[in-house]
Amino acid sequence: MAEFDCEETKRHVHEYLHNELSDAEIADITAHIANCDSCEGDYDVENALNNAIARACGDMPPAELAVRIMGRIRDIQSGTAH
Amino acid sequence: MSTFAAAQAPIGRARLNSKVMKSTEAADKKAQIHEFEQQALPLMPQLYGAALRWTRNPADAEDLVQEAMAKAFIAWGQFQQGTNLKAWLYRIMTNTHINMYNKRAKDQAKGSIDALEEWQLGEAESVTALSSRSAELEAIDNLPSTTVKNALNEIPEEFRMVVYYAVVDGLPYAEIAEIMDTPVGTVMSRLHRGKKLLKKLLADYAASEGYDVSGQNQESK
Repeated sequence: MAEFDCEETKRHVHEYLHNELSDAEIADITAHIANCDSCEGDYDVENALNNAIARACGDMPPAELAVRIMGRIRDIQSGTAH
Repeated sequence: MSTFAAAQAPIGRARLNSKVMKSTEAADKKAQIHEFEQQALPLMPQLYGAALRWTRNPADAEDLVQEAMAKAFIAWGQFQQGTNLKAWLYRIMTNTHINMYNKRAKDQAKGSIDALEEWQLGEAESVTALSSRSAELEAIDNLPSTTVKNALNEIPEEFRMVVYYAVVDGLPYAEIAEIMDTPVGTVMSRLHRGKKLLKKLLADYAASEGYDVSGQNQESK
């Protein structure tokens, strides 16, 4: 049960948010940020940034791209193009 | 005359055989297209999202996705059913991108991006004090999508893609490492550095809009 200090807690923010830690580490960090406004703030900011990034990257391909791709693939299969 | 007939016979039979073969081959081909359409095509929008981050513009992203899907189809026989198709497609797209833009040579000339010094990444670590934290979160929540995209486009592509895979796609580090052909430790440091660079760029933007995201100058505004 290694206690996480602020430095270590802040260093693990991405691994925490992306679920790349062990259950024990998650429990330690969760306990730390519950009692540390500075670290909690860091985590909130990174989380908000992640949400902003995800929101900004929601572009969908144009509808006809799938049609074009399948056309290309039929061409490949029939040997008319590569 | 008889020699002519004898010569004709085998050709006739061969023709018949090739006709039979052609029809089963055609069925196989049809099945393969169907399989690809059912399995790979639904993942295309996700590939497009990543392609857009690679290329930074829609026209090139469409070309890249189309090229990657064509390569994937040609290699379809090598895909092992039951394994991770999305990771397989992403890897093909990574390679396609490298080939299309002849990236590798350029990268080698430029030296590894991972060797960037800390000072080159700038200072964006400090977070606001409690009093302004809610303002900071509000500023981030209000960031326009174009601003976030511009910031993403500005950071080195190796960082950008790791941020994309981890944050937008939610891929585990191990899978990102596989797609990008790097150790997991590199994925981790690229994510940290990428986020740090983004934070700096977005803090600059927020500051220009009158928000303070840097933690400095808490008295102002």
